Amino acid sequence: MKKECIAMLLAGGQGSRLYVLTSEMAKPAVAFGGKYRIIDFPLSNCTNSGIDTVGVLTQYRPLELNSYIGSGQPWDLDGSSGGVHVLPPYMGSEGGTWYKGTANAIYQNIGFVDLYDPEYVVILSGDHIYKMDYSKMLARHKAAGAACTISVMEVPWAEASRFGIMNVDDSDYVTEFAEKPKDPKSNLASMGIYVFSWKVLRKYLEADEADSASENDFGKNVIPAMLAAGERMAAYRFSGYWKDVGTLESLWDANMDMLSPESGLDLLDESWPVYARSINASPAFLGYRSKVSHSAFNRGSDIEGTVENSVLSPLVHIGEGARVSYSVLLPGVTVEPGAVVEYAILGERCHVGRGCHVGGTPEQTAAEQWGLTVLAPDCTLEEERRVPAGTMLDRNGKEVSR
Amino acid sequence: MNGLHGMIFSYEKRNNLRELGEIRAASSIPFGGRYRAVDFALSNLVNAGVTDVGIVLHGPYQSMLDHLGTGKDWDLSRKRGGLKVLPLFDYKKKWGGKSAFRGKMEALADVRSYLDTIRQDYVVMMEGDLVVNLPLSDIYRSHVESGADITVVCGNDSFETENGTYFQLDQDGRVTDVLYHLHTPRGYRGLEVYVLSTALLKELVDDCTSRDEYSWRRDVLQARKGPLYLRSYIWNGFAAQIRSVQEYYDRSMQLLDPAIRADLFRLDRPILAKGADKSSAYIGPDGRCLNSMVADGCCIEGIVENSILFPGVSVESGAVVRNCVLFKETTVRRNAELAYIIADKNVEVLPDRTLMGHSSYPIVLAKGAQI
Repeated sequence: MKKECIAMLLAGGQGSRLYVLTSEMAKPAVAFGGKYRIIDFPLSNCTNSGIDTVGVLTQYRPLELNSYIGSGQPWDLDGSSGGVHVLPPYMGSEGGTWYKGTANAIYQNIGFVDLYDPEYVVILSGDHIYKMDYSKMLARHKAAGAACTISVMEVPWAEASRFGIMNVDDSDYVTEFAEKPKDPKSNLASMGIYVFSWKVLRKYLEADEADSASENDFGKNVIPAMLAAGERMAAYRFSGYWKDVGTLESLWDANMDMLSPESGLDLLDESWPVYARSINASPAFLGYRSKVSHSAFNRGSDIEGTVENSVLSPLVHIGEGARVSYSVLLPGVTVEPGAVVEYAILGERCHVGRGCHVGGTPEQTAAEQWGLTVLAPDCTLEEERRVPAGTMLDRNGKEVSR
Repeated sequence: MNGLHGMIFSYEKRNNLRELGEIRAASSIPFGGRYRAVDFALSNLVNAGVTDVGIVLHGPYQSMLDHLGTGKDWDLSRKRGGLKVLPLFDYKKKWGGKSAFRGKMEALADVRSYLDTIRQDYVVMMEGDLVVNLPLSDIYRSHVESGADITVVCGNDSFETENGTYFQLDQDGRVTDVLYHLHTPRGYRGLEVYVLSTALLKELVDDCTSRDEYSWRRDVLQARKGPLYLRSYIWNGFAAQIRSVQEYYDRSMQLLDPAIRADLFRLDRPILAKGADKSSAYIGPDGRCLNSMVADGCCIEGIVENSILFPGVSVESGAVVRNCVLFKETTVRRNAELAYIIADKNVEVLPDRTLMGHSSYPIVLAKGAQI
């Protein structure tokens, strides 16, 4: 079945900087914003952009991700021609390998892409929170007659040296690519979102694979090779909310951003819906003594305590007299009466016993000791336990270092 | 596939739902913050392992069709069996001289050809306006074991229902009398849930048709209670039949009781419903929300107490909502004040307006109204 454009979503990364949150699942499957998983954003963007065929490249701990994606129905990606396909590494008659890098992952699935014989392929990554119309980027790619179009956004000059920076000419064609430059010449950062003309990309993937010195990575190898060969590379400027949630701090930040539409991340805006596979549970219940302010909450939750500046996923229970502030609670968390949770991320099904105190505020903690407190999924804290700011506990309640 | 087939009846009955019932059948009335009444019957069936369900539709059924879709939300979109929507089959026949069924037997006679396609040996008949979480597989098993001809499921609470059916029982639970249109209800309130064998159902439909009998209650239960063994099953949990605005309101407010919610929304028999693609619910810095059920996508900047909010309800700052049920996408603008109101979908209450009903007479705001 011929398609003009399909998407390939790189979702195989471990997300090691999310530490205990990704010990059992791949980063794109991590819960976000109360009712979403990170992967809901690129998948919903595809559907809203009119892309009905998506290959999801998985590798690290794929069980949770696979079962979440399922048939693709929540994102309308269960059509009879196309839809969402989970693509793990595989064995062939001459053996097989893990995906060695982002480019190699696509290389190993050339057969899948060729099934749809597309003119263009969009390469996405599964760790970004943003709403973006890929069809506009594709239009830019076509109008520019480019071999590759790279989505970029302006970042503060002071931070430019943390990103892959694109230097562009007057017509926004990329002239140079610098990975984390010391002296950036531009403040246009690559967002890790590419549109390629498939025929050209296919050629470069084959050449990249043949090069044993290559790390088989788009940013490190394929893009520089195409630039060096003089391919026409266009930049596509994006100016909305975009955040890489690859670290605990950025994941927490993005959750807090969701509470304030002024941040640019307005999930109540239904003109560009973000779809999710939702659990079946009755609406949330807020009790007589609950006090909830500037917070989000979800189905199946029962809130009897105080919740401030926090994001609560489905099936969260907050007991009477408990207080949760500036925290992100993933699905199924229970905070028993009288417990306090501050500046923390609590993994799925954590149980915080009566009178526990998890985390601390920056004001009450010495600056060098302060940090987010993180509990691994299924971590159970006995009564009255104190978990200081900046610590991380594994599922057995033992402290682990970052 | 187990041996039980589901039949749900969703047709216009005499009810007192006022504006809520004008645009929809009682079966598709929103209830409990994110459900439609029929979700309960469908989920009861699916949770008992029922794979094939027929829904008899009649009257204003557009909103039911819209809600049911292919049945996939209840896992009833299947290659074999699954959900079958049964609108009027025999268009030319003027049932009872009008184009409306006079009773359940007439509705069944209309879909008589469907009854022949039922693969299961037993049928459970339910009404689409019943809000309950029944252990149907237990009821089915005990029906088969008891050797009864028909098992009638009765509630066990003091609630009355409009046009209810009441059963008198002997000490063994056998039905001794069937009464309706009672001025002062007595006996057990029937939930209009019946289990019987498919063969008996077809026999009864054919026999009634040949005598121009159309009423299940009068012509089957009352008239044949002698020769047939009618057995009762008493359900002690929550069971609401939504037939009047007052019942709708009182039953909704019961959901604020944790014990009732635990009974109706049991984790081992989940009530399945169509998803709404809404974000999380949100309460603003100055918002306050107490003793209320709040669905996805609500945004509360004002005060909400003792209320049930469906998805996407917005309560702006300074607004006060007390003892209300607000359907999907209701907007309460700044400083408006509502008490004892049932607002249908997409109602907008403009700034500074005040509307007060009373617990004994909740005011209904019709769909799309701007106040």
